[in-house]
Amino acid sequence: MNPYWKSPTERNPEHSDEFAPGPAPFNRRDFIKAAGFTVFAAALAGCQRAPIGKIIPHDKAPEELIPGTAVHYASVCHGCEAGCGALIKTLDGRPIKLEGLPAHPLSKGGLCAIGQASLLGLYDSLRFQQPILDGQPATWDAVDAAVKSRLNNVRILTRTILSPTTRAMIQQFVDAHAGAKWIEYDPLSSSAIADAHEQTHGTRVLPRYRFDQARVIVSFGADFLGGWISPVEHTAGYAQGRKLDDQTAWHAQFESTTTLTGSNADKRYRLAPGETGAALTQLAARIAQKAGAKFDTAVTGHDLDEASEKLWHARGHSLVVCGEQDVAAQALVNFINDLLGNYGHTLDIAAPSLQKRGDDNALAELARELNDGKVGTLIIAGVNPVYDVALPVGKARYVVCVAQRADETTAKANVVCAETNEFETWSDAEPVSGVVGISQPVIVPRGQTRALIETLAAWLGKPQSAYDIVRGHWQEEISWEKAVHDGFALIERKPVAVKSFDRSVVKSVTAAAGGLTLVGYAKVGLGDGRQAFNPWLQELPDPVSKVTWDNYACVSVGAAAKLGLTEGDVVRIEANGAAVELPVYVQPGQHDDVVAVAIGYGQQMTKRFADVGPKWIQRNPTLGANCMVGVNIAPLLPVGKLVAPGAKLVKTGTRRELASTQTYHYITVPEKLAPAGGLVRPCIQETTLAEYRHDPAAGIHKHHLPKEDLYPPDHKYPGRQWAMVIDLTKCTGCSACVLACQVENNVPVVGRDEVQRRRDMHWMRIDRYYKGDGDDVTVAHQPMLCQHCENAPCEAVCPVLATVHTEEGLNAQAYNRCVGTRYCANNCPYKVRRFNWFNYRHDDPVENLVLNPSVTVRTRGVMEKCSLCVQRIQEATIVAKKDGKLPADGVIQTACQQSCPAQAIVFGDRNDPNSAVAQARKNPRHYLVLEELNVRPAIGYLTLVRDRAGKNHETHKNAG
Amino acid sequence: MSTDAQHQNLRPPWILGNKSLSDVSRDICGIFERKPTALWWIAFLVAASMLAVGSAAMIYQMATGIGTWGLNKTVGWAFDITNFVFWIGIGHAGTLISAILFLLRQKWRTSVNRAAEAMTLFAVMCAGLFPLIHMGRPWLFYWIFPYPNNRGPLWVNFRSPLVWDFFAISTYFIISAGFWYMGLLPDLATIRDRATSKLRRWLAGFFSLGWDGSYRTWVRYESLYMLLAGLATPLVVSVHTIVSWDFATSVIPGWHTTIFPPYFVCGAVFSGFAMVLTLMLIARKVVHLEDYFTHRHVGAMCKIIILTGSLVGLAYLTEFFIAAYSGNPYEQFVFINRAFGPYSWAYWIMVSCNVITPQLLWFKRIRGNLMIVFLLSLVINVGMWFERFVIIVSSLHRDYLPSSWAMYTPSLIEVLTFIGTFGLFFSAFLLFCRFLPMIAMAEVKGVLREGHHAPAPAPAAPVRAAQEVEA
Repeated sequence: MNPYWKSPTERNPEHSDEFAPGPAPFNRRDFIKAAGFTVFAAALAGCQRAPIGKIIPHDKAPEELIPGTAVHYASVCHGCEAGCGALIKTLDGRPIKLEGLPAHPLSKGGLCAIGQASLLGLYDSLRFQQPILDGQPATWDAVDAAVKSRLNNVRILTRTILSPTTRAMIQQFVDAHAGAKWIEYDPLSSSAIADAHEQTHGTRVLPRYRFDQARVIVSFGADFLGGWISPVEHTAGYAQGRKLDDQTAWHAQFESTTTLTGSNADKRYRLAPGETGAALTQLAARIAQKAGAKFDTAVTGHDLDEASEKLWHARGHSLVVCGEQDVAAQALVNFINDLLGNYGHTLDIAAPSLQKRGDDNALAELARELNDGKVGTLIIAGVNPVYDVALPVGKARYVVCVAQRADETTAKANVVCAETNEFETWSDAEPVSGVVGISQPVIVPRGQTRALIETLAAWLGKPQSAYDIVRGHWQEEISWEKAVHDGFALIERKPVAVKSFDRSVVKSVTAAAGGLTLVGYAKVGLGDGRQAFNPWLQELPDPVSKVTWDNYACVSVGAAAKLGLTEGDVVRIEANGAAVELPVYVQPGQHDDVVAVAIGYGQQMTKRFADVGPKWIQRNPTLGANCMVGVNIAPLLPVGKLVAPGAKLVKTGTRRELASTQTYHYITVPEKLAPAGGLVRPCIQETTLAEYRHDPAAGIHKHHLPKEDLYPPDHKYPGRQWAMVIDLTKCTGCSACVLACQVENNVPVVGRDEVQRRRDMHWMRIDRYYKGDGDDVTVAHQPMLCQHCENAPCEAVCPVLATVHTEEGLNAQAYNRCVGTRYCANNCPYKVRRFNWFNYRHDDPVENLVLNPSVTVRTRGVMEKCSLCVQRIQEATIVAKKDGKLPADGVIQTACQQSCPAQAIVFGDRNDPNSAVAQARKNPRHYLVLEELNVRPAIGYLTLVRDRAGKNHETHKNAG
Repeated sequence: MSTDAQHQNLRPPWILGNKSLSDVSRDICGIFERKPTALWWIAFLVAASMLAVGSAAMIYQMATGIGTWGLNKTVGWAFDITNFVFWIGIGHAGTLISAILFLLRQKWRTSVNRAAEAMTLFAVMCAGLFPLIHMGRPWLFYWIFPYPNNRGPLWVNFRSPLVWDFFAISTYFIISAGFWYMGLLPDLATIRDRATSKLRRWLAGFFSLGWDGSYRTWVRYESLYMLLAGLATPLVVSVHTIVSWDFATSVIPGWHTTIFPPYFVCGAVFSGFAMVLTLMLIARKVVHLEDYFTHRHVGAMCKIIILTGSLVGLAYLTEFFIAAYSGNPYEQFVFINRAFGPYSWAYWIMVSCNVITPQLLWFKRIRGNLMIVFLLSLVINVGMWFERFVIIVSSLHRDYLPSSWAMYTPSLIEVLTFIGTFGLFFSAFLLFCRFLPMIAMAEVKGVLREGHHAPAPAPAAPVRAAQEVEA
């Protein structure tokens, strides 16, 4: 009860017992309390790691940074060694999306699924946080001391190093240590192409393939749109070359497996893997005959007349590529391209590709040295050779791994140097001679990690930050500020010493022995498997098979019938003295003598997926019997090659159902159930190039639609009306859009079991349809997303108005209003609505950092679907509104459109007659899927035009 | 008397055994005035266990998610709505018997109307459960009620058949319950008057609303009953019509069909009569109602089954004809796929149970064999469940884009939930048999031959009740 005092003098301290420091009675109990608290507090404090840097970026915000407003940084994609340009969207200091860099001279604004998904690697909570010495967490000082004392007879093993700075640093390191050697290898090797050029052109280069320049493309097993060397660059060029004009490129694919590239070809030939060399010999013989050049083999019968005719006709603008890891075959390819005069036009060896520099021979040499015990310290950076090629790394005296996460190789290492994630450090890339990308950090590094260059610099005794090293390297050559801003710079390219073509090395190749051959291939989603830890990629449906989460043994329809196999039968495959058991997938269009299996599966790092997906009583595990996703087939393949002849295939009698997002595969309904004239579903409307040239509207199904509706239109669109047009001719099915949508819209990963129950959540899916019988099929890809119908069937049936039409023509879904009757999904003719059957996995707080804060994370029981990236529309509109304008056409890009390497997607305001989308809707090729329902979709498609034989068109005529 | 004798020959009695009025009260009330038999206990325990298992499954589903059902992105409804339509359909016989047959002065209805109405109520309860639990977020079910709320200007979508469903089913339940209760009043008074325990006397007295059996009470009762019958009559048609609109207003081939309302109503009456037969044939044996539920009753119901079953068969044919006639390849495919596609087994179960089976009832000897009729009624129930399954699943699983075609398999939780609704239905029905008269005594008394040839009229319950009131 202290009275208020009126003045300081009135306040007599003697009377105030509250603030009086009286004698503190410190008895036994208080002592125990205080002592307990102190000890506990000290223990708590001791448990925490000492602060190592700012963990909250922008504690004092930079002036130009507005919270909640995204900043895009131009950078380089590190998903593979294609070195595409990337735009990193960061929000409040954390990168949340990777997009294509529009101005980039190679990737031209596209970015593939693997590249976009690589962002999740940054938020991988199982990444190494600190170096490990002899299995124990250690300090960098201890690690440096341990490594430096053992640097004798050093071998450095890396994958292709794109970064000139790192290359220089490694070279410096090798030079500084006597007897040191540096070996590069690629799990998806193109070593044979380089070796062949060494033979024919006297220099070991990988040409840069210019698909944009080619008018005739003949590919022998090269999946150049899928995973071969630089798929984004190739896809951009391919789409450009296949523009529908007088010079539309013609593409023939000779292949043993059904690849994404083959599915887009005008003409596709099934070729046994052992016959590639023989076929190339025959092609060479034909071209040589036409060119009047000498060749040691005479022309005999083969399916090559059309291809050789077209190649010869388009000489100088044609291109022959081959994916085979066989130097003799590649030399033949060089010979053909040389005869056709393609060097300098469609193949650039003056400014060659630097994307694959692996040398299989050097790798073999290293394996020999290891087996002989000649290797002192083996430094392995960024690769997993124990998994990839079963390299006996344990035979080196000391193994040092520079890695981001635990894998088969780090398990055998004495020292693991925790590597900084590529989004956390400075680096650079030179994917093609003369094109340099500068990659900048976009987030503060998590943990005590060091980039490879920093580690090497430390071991060289001149520790420096990555920034100083990279900047120092480019000081002379480029304008740093501009290059960092643009994300790339063009520099003077180093001259390549090319000798004149040496025809003497070109020898004809005879067909290898037939019989069943095991062919390894890289899935479009997983590539060489380095991102096997990435749930987005594991759940990305393969563009051709539509299977997720597993690898499987693809056999042709013919072979399956012969061997009595159906999809899901587990077979035992034996080759090269090893065996694996895999479920069968019946793949139309594959050669009968081939069993094709994806590489990159069965990795230790996939054990983390044991708990992926919802938990309930009837759930099935995502992992297979080996506690991993898929099975590793590397032991079955010869090192550096993806082909193992003499394979054996035995049915085991057990079954494992595959998790497929599409289980019915044809554009036609099953024949025995087909009503008269209704065999073909006209969702894909296609025509041939010849028909198209005759009539641009060829292939369109005309429907008798009412000219007037009984009821006045529900919605008037006074302002903007959003629409999208997808060009099926440009679309290759690469699935970059599927992943872009997933990242942008926080689409959850649901796990193998849920996909198998047909509950995949992708808002954007790519429908893949086969047409034809058995293995004689053509393939069509169709991106399918919410069609934002004007007369939307979903809107009418929702009892609570959770899905409504906006005045700008979007079919909007109000998640918090949805009660989950699923009536809308039932009533959707396109089946694009996705239901949250469970609360999906968002339990990793680190991984959750990748979520886009502009998009709600949906809880269980609500419906969701494509919103046409409404958050992007709003964001751009708000920005433009500040100037009292509307965003210009093309400023708003949906996520799928932004990343599309083929630029097949156009989005915009169809009420603006000058907009690209309004123009595209006027294209005679424009059609609406299920137009006859009069639901009036806002998403249109342009017909699929292929230079295929007239057969397809006739089928359609019958159907119509 | 000679005319009476002739009359008697022309119109055989509906109630056998030459019952007097007091016999009726004794027979019917005796069922629940005695201690429950062991058979009743066993049946009740089985039903209650089914209900418990089903409840556990429902709780698990609500706690975990709809993912515990076998649905997928293509087939968004299957067991849930199949069961919903199945149970709603079952209910229809009750309303038809109590309302339409009343208006048509079908005297045989008196033996079955009470049980059939009770069955309606319990079936609607089972049915109403599914729209609730099939929601992704069932705790927000009240969002489909249109009532002034403070969630902003949010209102329901009156264009959605699911909102119509809400109105149809709630109306149906309220009217059915009211009708059933109103019909119970005189019987409740009888129970009251016969009651030996205080509690029963008080409860029956309370719920009989002070029935005094006076002429005025009877007149008012009968006019109210007539009015309610008139009110309930359109519901027989409207409820299942609206349920059928859930499908008919959609764009899904196989659902988008104008024939659905009459087709569904016929199917509902068909399945409802089969269910009434199933229940009454069991009850007849177990509690010895042979005199009240006779071969003639069974015969009359079999004839309705023949009629509605044939109409259902006609609807199946019409659907195929219209599909062929429409020239719409999607529509045509759905029907071919129904009959010959992956779910053809379900289709042929449906056809053989619903079209072929009822035709057997043309034969008097089959109608006369109650065991066979009982088995046939079960078969029809199975068939009608499959009809809804076929309509829902076979239309959804392969619609427009072949890329989305999928298969549906029920999960364990779904099957248990369905079993649980049977548990609810039979538990409720068994409790009803234990506590209320299964046969409308007052109405049955009206169709007795009382007064024609009975030697000494027994004091009728209403009369006695009136005396008591006077006393």
